[in-house]
Amino acid sequence: MRPEETVREVTGIQSADIEAALDPVEADGVYRDSRQCAALALLSGSTKLLLSPPTPRPKKG
Amino acid sequence: MEQSGTSTLLQGAVQDIASGVVSALRGGDHARAVPPAGTDGEAGELALAAVRVLGSDALLPDLLLRTPTDPAQVALFRKAVEAYPPRADAAPTVRWSHWGMARTLRRVDPSYTAGPPDEPGTGWLDDATWQFLTHQLAVLAPLALPGEDCALGRLAGRRPVDVARGFVRAVRRRDWRQAAGAGRWLTLLSGVPDTVGLEAGLDFVELMGGQDPLVALHVQAARRMRAGALV
Repeated sequence: MRPEETVREVTGIQSADIEAALDPVEADGVYRDSRQCAALALLSGSTKLLLSPPTPRPKKG
Repeated sequence: MEQSGTSTLLQGAVQDIASGVVSALRGGDHARAVPPAGTDGEAGELALAAVRVLGSDALLPDLLLRTPTDPAQVALFRKAVEAYPPRADAAPTVRWSHWGMARTLRRVDPSYTAGPPDEPGTGWLDDATWQFLTHQLAVLAPLALPGEDCALGRLAGRRPVDVARGFVRAVRRRDWRQAAGAGRWLTLLSGVPDTVGLEAGLDFVELMGGQDPLVALHVQAARRMRAGALV
């Protein structure tokens, strides 16, 4: 018996399950909230990480 | 989307082995990165399938640290390569993953002489958007190894800015697996803009997504490679 057949018999896993795991669709995006942005800013220190620029606001006066 | 029981079982097994790999990369127990080939019954068979999904990363500690691979782990790895060849209509990522495993197997098991004679093509990425390119490269992050030339790596090397954009996008979407995989590729590419902040970005990915062993694995791999680990 081929190993693959054994796997299928015992666990129900087939080649299609493995290939599906190796060819996943892209996960839906979940965007950060402001607290996480703050954490990112802290983590990046004085430098390096790209953060979204602040939302443009109208000038006063 | 809800996963099937089988899929959940498999993903759990993949994560278990990935945890062992992460531990080994952090200086823990190398021998447990992959369950030994003698593991019996359901656990052993599940491990076999999980090793196939994890790909070459199942042996990553030995590849990066240049330590000899335990023969039992080599045997299990070889069994996974031989048991799950890509089907004729398999997706390119499946083909590349298997090709990468065969390449790794030839490295760790000189008695293994079989394997795909040619690399799979990269045609499916020729006109890929930077988003799709990054997603596919992240899926194939186990192929991101220093000193290992392949057509996929050369293709990535021609598009460092696109991969960098994809990395940033993945971080912003909180797709930690994709971000970690893309970040791992970026450590190998030249021409990556400094403004990406790769090192801090990888720290952030680990902070936010590192509880997922697959995320932790790619971040650890990237760190090891940045530190100069050679294959």
